[in-house]
Amino acid sequence: MPAQNLLERYEARRTRRFLDNQERMSGWLPTWRTRARRRLLTVILAVVLACMFVATTATYFVPLAALAWLPLTLVFLVTWTSLQIVSSRLSDAPRHALDEREISERNSARSIGLGVAQVLVMIPILALLLGSTTDSVDHQDLAYAAGGFTLASILFAGCLPAMILAWIRPDDDPEDHL
Amino acid sequence: MSPVRRGETLPIYNRIRVLRADRGLSRSQLAALVEVNPQTIGALERGDHYPSLDLAFRICDVFGLPVEAVFSRTEFAPLSAGLHRPAPKEA
Repeated sequence: MPAQNLLERYEARRTRRFLDNQERMSGWLPTWRTRARRRLLTVILAVVLACMFVATTATYFVPLAALAWLPLTLVFLVTWTSLQIVSSRLSDAPRHALDEREISERNSARSIGLGVAQVLVMIPILALLLGSTTDSVDHQDLAYAAGGFTLASILFAGCLPAMILAWIRPDDDPEDHL
Repeated sequence: MSPVRRGETLPIYNRIRVLRADRGLSRSQLAALVEVNPQTIGALERGDHYPSLDLAFRICDVFGLPVEAVFSRTEFAPLSAGLHRPAPKEA
């Protein structure tokens, strides 16, 4: 076997860990591994992320709105973890743990996530650029709101590939497990 | 489905389900032999995914058949249609 370089060793270790974790978690939440339940989790996650955008925008006008992030983060963590478990973490799986169909689907979903991230992050960037040259704007509140908006954007774009894959994945065919 | 850079996506039909049944292989067994997930075999059988050349060759190796016997641009006739042909009538 040829000597592996650092990157190959890292990929091999990551793949081993992923497959170990996948095997360990394959029996978790068995009743939630249907398309309908995965879609329900996806919708809940989308609503939570939408609320994060609203809350972070509201902080510019009402600083106390930032407190809404506490319950939202709690719901987010539970929903996101559940979605990752029931969709087998396909969106962030190492390449060697997937076959060609899964890689193709994952790459398409990631491409959409990247595109969405670029668009969403442009909003706080433009707000900061324009706001910094406008005297009537409270610069401190603007910076805080823009920071929160960027955080929500990165979260949304990071979750989007998993949400797309969870949404499109069909129910398991009983014949697959014979 | 395999990505196509440009042009119309042409169909690729296959006989995987029939050959698998003929050899008594389950999806899981065939998937293990060609090193993909069983869901991908299902997607191939349904026509939801077109295989790469590498996967196509690996599947053909399992059945011991040439690519054109397993995959085709046109729909396959039932295998049973080739089992018996009536003798030509004598003049």
